[in-house]
Amino acid sequence: MKTDVTLKIAGAAGQGIQTIGDLLSEVCHQSGLFTFSVDDFESRVRGGHNFNLLRLSDKELTAPGNRLDILVCINTNAYELHKEELRSDGIAIINADEPGTKDKTRFEIPLKKLAEEAGNKITANSVAAGAVLAVLGAPLSLLADVLKKQFAAKGEKIVALNVAAAKKGFEAASGLGQDTGFAWEAKKSNNVVLSGAKAAALGALAADCRFFPFYPMSPATGVVSSVIPYSKQLPVVVEQAEDEISAVMMAIGASFAGVRAMTATSGGGFCLMTEGLGLAGMTETPLVIVNAQRPGPATGLATRTGQADLLFSIHASHDEFPRFVFAPGTPVETYETMKRAFHLAEKYQVPAIVLLDQFLANSRVTEVNTLEVDPEIERFYEQNNSGSDEAPYLRYALVKDGVSPQRIPCSGPGLVRVTGNEHDPEGHISENAENKIAMTQKRAAKLPAMIKEMQAPFLVNPTAPVFLVGWGSTRGNILEAVDRLGAQGMEVGAAVFKDLWPMDRKTIGQVLDNKKLIMVEQNGSGQLGRLLAQEAGIDSFDTILKYDGRPFFPDYIVQKAKELVK
Amino acid sequence: MITPKDFDCKYENKWCPGCGDFQILSAMKSAFAQQQIPPEKLTLISGIGQAGKTPHFLKCNMFHGLHGRALPLATGTKIANNDLTVVVNCGDGDCYGEGGNHFLAAIRRNIDITLLVHNNQIYGLTKGQTSPTSSLGMTTKLQNTGTPSSQFSALGIALAAGAGFVARGLSGEPGHLTELIVKAMDYKGFSLVDILQPCVSFNKINTLSWYQERAYKLEDTDHDPQDLGKAFKLAQEWEQSLPLGVLYEALGTPFHERVPNLKASALAAHNYDSKLLADTLLQNL
Repeated sequence: MKTDVTLKIAGAAGQGIQTIGDLLSEVCHQSGLFTFSVDDFESRVRGGHNFNLLRLSDKELTAPGNRLDILVCINTNAYELHKEELRSDGIAIINADEPGTKDKTRFEIPLKKLAEEAGNKITANSVAAGAVLAVLGAPLSLLADVLKKQFAAKGEKIVALNVAAAKKGFEAASGLGQDTGFAWEAKKSNNVVLSGAKAAALGALAADCRFFPFYPMSPATGVVSSVIPYSKQLPVVVEQAEDEISAVMMAIGASFAGVRAMTATSGGGFCLMTEGLGLAGMTETPLVIVNAQRPGPATGLATRTGQADLLFSIHASHDEFPRFVFAPGTPVETYETMKRAFHLAEKYQVPAIVLLDQFLANSRVTEVNTLEVDPEIERFYEQNNSGSDEAPYLRYALVKDGVSPQRIPCSGPGLVRVTGNEHDPEGHISENAENKIAMTQKRAAKLPAMIKEMQAPFLVNPTAPVFLVGWGSTRGNILEAVDRLGAQGMEVGAAVFKDLWPMDRKTIGQVLDNKKLIMVEQNGSGQLGRLLAQEAGIDSFDTILKYDGRPFFPDYIVQKAKELVK
Repeated sequence: MITPKDFDCKYENKWCPGCGDFQILSAMKSAFAQQQIPPEKLTLISGIGQAGKTPHFLKCNMFHGLHGRALPLATGTKIANNDLTVVVNCGDGDCYGEGGNHFLAAIRRNIDITLLVHNNQIYGLTKGQTSPTSSLGMTTKLQNTGTPSSQFSALGIALAAGAGFVARGLSGEPGHLTELIVKAMDYKGFSLVDILQPCVSFNKINTLSWYQERAYKLEDTDHDPQDLGKAFKLAQEWEQSLPLGVLYEALGTPFHERVPNLKASALAAHNYDSKLLADTLLQNL
């Protein structure tokens, strides 16, 4: 009896791969099951080869699966590409022109023909979903309910067509039902299915972010497009900028005016934004940037995943200024991190960079729903109730903690003067040497308090002699790998970072002291390892690196870890 | 009663003696006084260069940003709070060179701000290189065989991009310039005033007298500012004659009236509403 099932739906772009996956995900969600759904696609709109990898379980999942129980091939090419991934007891469901082989390992089904019989060939996706549902041993009624919801806006006729199509697929697969051991029945759960991109948008909105200037770039576009459905109810504006430089400048301009704003981009766009990042740093204007990483440099692999912008994000822009860098590990954590990023960026008047990656941004994961909107949010602006020639408002007052009281322009008598040139306390250009020293020190003076805001890495088996160490979206993979290694009698723990910068050197140094460290990262050099060596006195580390643009799988980490720990 | 003096500021001016910027600054103060806008209700946003320093030299709220980037900064500020009066100061290199893409985008958005371009046809702060508005062949220490690029027609390009208010002023005509700035600020949408000015330190060709010998005022002619074709023709005049005044003015819909969520009230005017957010974001997830 299986309670952890992985299926892959593969075919060309434009064949509805993701639609089938989403329908099945939703059926699982309605039954209280957990899903982990990953898309793998090329940088093209039609053709090529894409797949959706869907893992389902009755327990919370933290990572995708890679050994297939069910392989759904929308074209024959897909079978050739993925047949090696099938488990020995797995089944391949293959789209065919005519009905063909039908047994426990291979099922040839004419999706288009059945869709036509149901009334319209465009419903082939629903035929496929119906067939998979039958193989999973689930009742058709669950899928029918999902289809009714999904197509409600398109009218009863379309709903009926799709339900009929699903029924065709379901009936064609009769007798192939696997013993999955899932309780297939509609069940209320306290779970939520989110992608990292949507979670980032929700978190920003919950933080009262009202302005989203951006320039389209995979895989960050989903962050901003996820705002659109809420723009009817909420006072928000999404504006497509002429380039990323403009996008970040618009966000800074809005923030100057006291409105929370953010932009989202990927590595190449983030490169263009670095001058804006420096402007925010110098002018001490709160700013939130989401960098949804993809492998590079330059254009790299536009639709694939990587974690190679860590050191860049920490150092981006010339000279020095304090900033926050976060890398949440799951969609729900992305929501929380966005709220914190806005809060902390404003509290300390610094930029906050939230690192996602294509894997986290696009994967749709079931988690326990802990999302909340805060009853109140703390804002960090001083009342603008004074200011005169004799006693002007000092935007950059030299205060001990470095956080000079910030005011909103045109909200009172105090003139708010901001410049990217080095400036005196009033905000005027200053080339005075003592002033330069004082201002550099003022900006840096924020760091001790910022470091106190940083949350320690997530630890598993803290007493184990060996630690897998990672950051951001690899967490779930690392956790599952640690579990599996433990089950095989290996004493392995983990430290996974979400808060990356500024770094609490002392605490982190203590946590990692005397451990054999294995960096598990999606870049070519172990960037977090290098950072820890620089900041926390780590003198050596092993690596499990993956930089092929595809996500980690727990299997891979387990196998590599075993080679490293003998 | 607000007077130009109300904008005087103690901060030391850093321009070269004799610079046209002084007259532009003075015309700005006069225009703001005519608009009866107090310094604390005025927001100036600028780029980098001698023109970019302008907001430091008068009383106002200001964001002195980066080279070429004043317009997107101003756009963000204005989208966040449409109730603000936003005026932008840029130089020719700043706005038409480094910021060229933003110039086109700001016009197309028709964001309700006023752009004053201090156009001296030279890079002053970096000590005398040619700018996009320098004449073809102009020589400098760097362009010692003459600039190989032809002159950027800011007014023509603004018209072609669909700008609804396109004017040219001259620093040596501060009264006339004041009137242009007042009109530009009155205009609902994106307004451009390209201001010819001498650079006494580096541009030895386009001096104040060079401009004055060629300049004439459109108000003294029968020009109809609603005539786009004529405006295009005027924008081409250069070597022999230089039209000053409003070349083109036509009503359009400003950005904040094009965007549903900006029509009723400014983004900044809303309060945090936890119930609305919870109902909108967390129901039906």
